[in-house]
Amino acid sequence: MNAVVAEPVEHYRAAFESLRPGQGDSAAQRAAAFERFAALGFPGPREEAWKYTSLRRLAARRFPAPATDGAAPALPEALAGHRLAVLNGRRREDLSTPGALPRGLRVRGLAEAMGDGESLAALLRVAHGGGTERFAALNAALCPDVLLVDVAEGAAPEPLEIVLAATPTEPGMSHPRLVIRAAAGSHARIVIRHLSDDVERLVNSLVDVELGPDATLHVYRLLDTGERTFHIERIEATVAQRGTFVLHDAQLGAGLARLDLNARLAAPQAAAELTGVFLADGSRHLDTHVLVDHLAVGTRSLQDYRGIAAGRGRAVFNGKAVVHPGAQQSQARQSSRNLLLTPGAEIDTKPELEIYADDVQCSHGATTGQLDPVALFYLRSRGLSENQARSALTRAFAGAVLSRMDHAPFAARVHEMFDARLTNLLEERP
Amino acid sequence: MLSIRDLHARVGEREILKGLDLEVRAGEVHAIMGPNGSGKSTLASVLAGREGYEVTAGQVEYLGQDLLVMEPEERARAGVFLAFQYPVEIPGVNNAYLLKAALNAVRRHRGLGELDAFEFLGLVREKMKLMQMDESFLNRGVNEGFSGGEKKRNEILQMALLEPKLALLDETDSGLDIDALRVVASGVNSLRAPDRAVVLVTHYQRLLDYIEPDFVHVLSGGRILKSGDRTLALELEKRGYDWVRQEAKVA
Repeated sequence: MNAVVAEPVEHYRAAFESLRPGQGDSAAQRAAAFERFAALGFPGPREEAWKYTSLRRLAARRFPAPATDGAAPALPEALAGHRLAVLNGRRREDLSTPGALPRGLRVRGLAEAMGDGESLAALLRVAHGGGTERFAALNAALCPDVLLVDVAEGAAPEPLEIVLAATPTEPGMSHPRLVIRAAAGSHARIVIRHLSDDVERLVNSLVDVELGPDATLHVYRLLDTGERTFHIERIEATVAQRGTFVLHDAQLGAGLARLDLNARLAAPQAAAELTGVFLADGSRHLDTHVLVDHLAVGTRSLQDYRGIAAGRGRAVFNGKAVVHPGAQQSQARQSSRNLLLTPGAEIDTKPELEIYADDVQCSHGATTGQLDPVALFYLRSRGLSENQARSALTRAFAGAVLSRMDHAPFAARVHEMFDARLTNLLEERP
Repeated sequence: MLSIRDLHARVGEREILKGLDLEVRAGEVHAIMGPNGSGKSTLASVLAGREGYEVTAGQVEYLGQDLLVMEPEERARAGVFLAFQYPVEIPGVNNAYLLKAALNAVRRHRGLGELDAFEFLGLVREKMKLMQMDESFLNRGVNEGFSGGEKKRNEILQMALLEPKLALLDETDSGLDIDALRVVASGVNSLRAPDRAVVLVTHYQRLLDYIEPDFVHVLSGGRILKSGDRTLALELEKRGYDWVRQEAKVA
């Protein structure tokens, strides 16, 4: 390990020593997690999982240890009837919707959950493998709390927005951690919205999702963060029999973002639908790694991501589906379509399939291209300006994914952000 | 209205228009006929401003302006409309959106206010009736999954809505059955007015039974070889194009 890679670990060690989060068993588990992070270190230049994404700039930053409290930012209108606010990884009642949570939802912190006999090992577990294991370990070591969200058996609660924010105007780091458990037969919609201002910071987020039999969970994820945010996130979902995990992902923020999205279809007929859009304009760099494991008979997965890059923007999409032995009659579909709006932009996409069963249906497709000049001319020949025409075609491109975002306030916010950004970047064209 | 003088144009290295002259006045309907590869579609594309067509010599004046320096959208707003030979399918861009955006772009240019949703719908319904198109076409992607005839009708619908001063129809009759041809022709005829002109590019005289031209021109080898009234079209139908070429050589 060279000096550039090792040195930042010591900085995070100092943060860990100064905070000493947890007591007793928790302290031991956090210390072990930290050592896991220290052993893995920051990714070196030759690590395959970080082939197109360099963390050199992040490694050079010395963000102060996360504040335990701090001034609250002004929060925009919520994207669901009930808001749960998390500041620097800690639940903030004063920023949340007052009163009871929607029926069928329960939210606890780490101490309360442990008092109820929940397993510390499960709540602070370190996700194994992949390019972000190190950051998952760092999160387990440094998260100030765990937000445990339970959807009761058979419940269909009103939608919930979980907004994850950081102290405004101060550079820093935060390590929010969410555990969402959808019990058997439940049906829930949860918005996970990352917010930050235009100050340099690291957000290292972890979301653990567990679906019981016949449960359906829709997660609406929005990166609504400033351009100087380093955003690293790992979402791990395990789906039981006939459960369906649906992710609607809108990556419209951050300067450098990496998402590792892992879905384990662990029992027969479990399903995952992972769809999203990313918009890498300016000098943003957005990297998404999806891994779906088909572990049982009749499991189904869909990955459908649409990417747009402009300016000096860069994006990476790496989608992988593995059909394990015995997972017969499974279906795995992958689609990665990408649009480059200007010559300097770049998107690297790599769909992968590994199949160890013989009776399966798998498909994948990846394209990267530009707006169709014939369609552009057609629209302009009807009087639309070049920008109007480009904007209409770009919107149509993303529309295939955006139109599936079936939670109205979320969809409205995504469209609003998307349109504003598109207008900006088209007007900036030389 | 439209004055084309000594127009030379090429696509890539290939020169297609080789000194074309044409004069179109307001109120007139001109038919341009000619064999395959004679330059008919190139002429329509050059006039609409399609990329990839390079004008190497000559001028095109439209209502006193130099048409060739205008962007495609400026031409459209100034009243030039091209009905495409192959209308483009654009999934995800709503047909109603295009019609409304186009209409408002043209109206703004003419100094008229934009139409609100209610006024727009009233107008577009009226024009769709004329084109015998179902309203469901409004909510589909532009030309998405339309049959050949539906695409051509959609072109004329756009034209009827935008009320251009100069309408260029590029082989709008190709691939149409007789019923669709009648509908398309009545759409075009409804636009005939003293302050408008129509240029029809066509292969067959069939269309001219429904849209009577004032002038017929034979385009061959990138130039207009012969011009006449509508009887010329009938003669071409009977005798083909060779005699025109022979005549031109002798001359």
